[in-house]
Amino acid sequence: MIWTIYRKELREVLRDRRTLIFMIVLPVVLIPLLLNLTTSLVSSAVEKARTETLSYALYHPERLPGLGEALTADAGFEEVTGVDEAEIAAAIEDERIKLALVVDAPVEAGVGPNVTVNLYYNGASATSKVKGRTEELVTAVSDRLRDERLTALRLDTAEQRDSLLRPVKLEVHNTADMREVIGEQAGGFLPYIFIIFCYLGALYPAIDLAAGEKERGTLETLLLAPIPRVKLVMGKFLVVFSAGVTSAILSIGGLGAWLYSEGQEVGGALGEIIKSVGPLDLVLIALMLIPMAAMFSALLLSISIYAKSFKEAQSYSAPLNTVVILPAVLAMLPGIELDWTWAMVPITNISLAIKELIKGTMDYSMLVAILGSSVAIAGVCLVFCTKWFQRESVLFRG
Amino acid sequence: MLEVQGLGKSFALPRKRKRSAAERPDPREQGRSFHAVSDVSFTVEAGAILGLLGPNGAGKTTLMRMLSTAIKPTHGTARFDGVDIVAAPQEVRRKIGFLSGTTGLYGRLTAREMITYYGELHGLAREVVGARVEQLAARLKMGSFLDRRNDALSTGMKQKVSIARTLVHDPQVLIFDEPTTGLDVAAAQTVLELIARCREEGKTVLFSTHHMHEVARLCSRVVILAEGALCFAGTVEEMRAQGGSAALDEAFLRLVGEREVSEGAA
Repeated sequence: MIWTIYRKELREVLRDRRTLIFMIVLPVVLIPLLLNLTTSLVSSAVEKARTETLSYALYHPERLPGLGEALTADAGFEEVTGVDEAEIAAAIEDERIKLALVVDAPVEAGVGPNVTVNLYYNGASATSKVKGRTEELVTAVSDRLRDERLTALRLDTAEQRDSLLRPVKLEVHNTADMREVIGEQAGGFLPYIFIIFCYLGALYPAIDLAAGEKERGTLETLLLAPIPRVKLVMGKFLVVFSAGVTSAILSIGGLGAWLYSEGQEVGGALGEIIKSVGPLDLVLIALMLIPMAAMFSALLLSISIYAKSFKEAQSYSAPLNTVVILPAVLAMLPGIELDWTWAMVPITNISLAIKELIKGTMDYSMLVAILGSSVAIAGVCLVFCTKWFQRESVLFRG
Repeated sequence: MLEVQGLGKSFALPRKRKRSAAERPDPREQGRSFHAVSDVSFTVEAGAILGLLGPNGAGKTTLMRMLSTAIKPTHGTARFDGVDIVAAPQEVRRKIGFLSGTTGLYGRLTAREMITYYGELHGLAREVVGARVEQLAARLKMGSFLDRRNDALSTGMKQKVSIARTLVHDPQVLIFDEPTTGLDVAAAQTVLELIARCREEGKTVLFSTHHMHEVARLCSRVVILAEGALCFAGTVEEMRAQGGSAALDEAFLRLVGEREVSEGAA
């Protein structure tokens, strides 16, 4: 009998264009689109910062011979004149110049004068390369001067120079592989997307199957069919659950398809990670989302059956959006790592576990614990939903 | 045969509701509970049509819902051919067909799918349902739109689908809660013809309405509710006699009004 209900509800859901868009089209189309957009946006922003021409103003170049020449020779820099030294900050603010270099008076120090060059620029932008590019140029000038002075002191070989300039060296060997490093940054974002899609996929069917029955006036006759109400709820729950799981799996499928097609073209360290996420990782990610879909379905169905209309169901489910989004976002915050405490926080634990899977550093005993606790919570939600569905004050709310 | 014995239903009231000065306190409110229907008893013979009358808010729908097993009575019970609504609700559901003026359809299913679904829910085998759908479609002249989606049907067509849905499991008892409310003349006519036909087939019919001409045309017995309590039960003739008017509207108002006056005096 549950099967009869399931078949009928599924048929109705599949004939609803709005549900189909949320359940199938969005995850399949939007995920690859989003990924393409972010990767291309990030790389083009970096590219632009690296190649754009930097306008500069230079003060007292006579104090450091070679600096003005180096700037003029570099095609990436362009001099702007007529900016008064007193109005540097304002000129940077209104973008007349990107940076200003002010050379201090040299200090005599025996071997040769020490010169300080002051760099003024706006460092608020995360992708700004002003400091890096200027530093490179000034360092080159500095290195040339240094080499001249060392030669004058008859220190000609690289070893001699090194023993003077860096008698003690610290060599850093990072044991984290690149997958872990970048997974930490990108890995928080993907579970968030999966969780939202899983929720959105379940949302419309849940509203349609319960509040929709009330609004259309079909609930009362349905309740009078000679079948236990538990079976009725189970049939409906399974359809909503299927929708949530479908959305989640499709969004992972969207990720998988992107990874194995366009993702392969992404170069550099990001490309490395993309290649290291294997099919098993994707399957495990999907597995994590299944109890989550069950949780969402039971909760949404409970809210929906309480509501008297579509509209009411939508406004009642709005607070649940926050309850879903907030724990999913938590996993994106720096410093929040999967440990046994976080493993007990529903939704956040799944979000963190997906991040670990992408990083390739999952502790599998924790994975089992998270799956187990999520299944238990989903079970509690489902029991609540079935009990709730049998209350007259909910079904016939006046 | 339907026997209703001391049937009543109370609902819990929400905490402290502000009542305007003009609002008369409802005598059915007692502390935190509201006695929507209390101690209603009557019987209906098999093959009879019982009209259930009462002003809005009298408890008609609550009574109908208890009888159709949608909600459980707080006290008392009722039996359809000896089957108890409290003890064996599932068995009662197999015997009854329910239709109300606000009953809707699944818009994205076709008429055939909708009727078939309810047949299956009532435990009919697939072949039986198929034959039954054809039979009902022929009887209600639904052939032209049987495979169209309910959303695309006219009000009259929708009403026929609802009727077929109500009858798909061949119920012995039919419960109609204001079945003609909101329908146009033609659609209401279809429903009234259905009720008359049910009587010919020896089914028991219970229907609530505000239209006295429907009562005069169809009902053999009448039950009147006012403020949740039974205030009249008898034949249409007895209603005219006790109401002191040959016009049923007039008789109804007096029967309902009388009760209010006597209560005010007490």
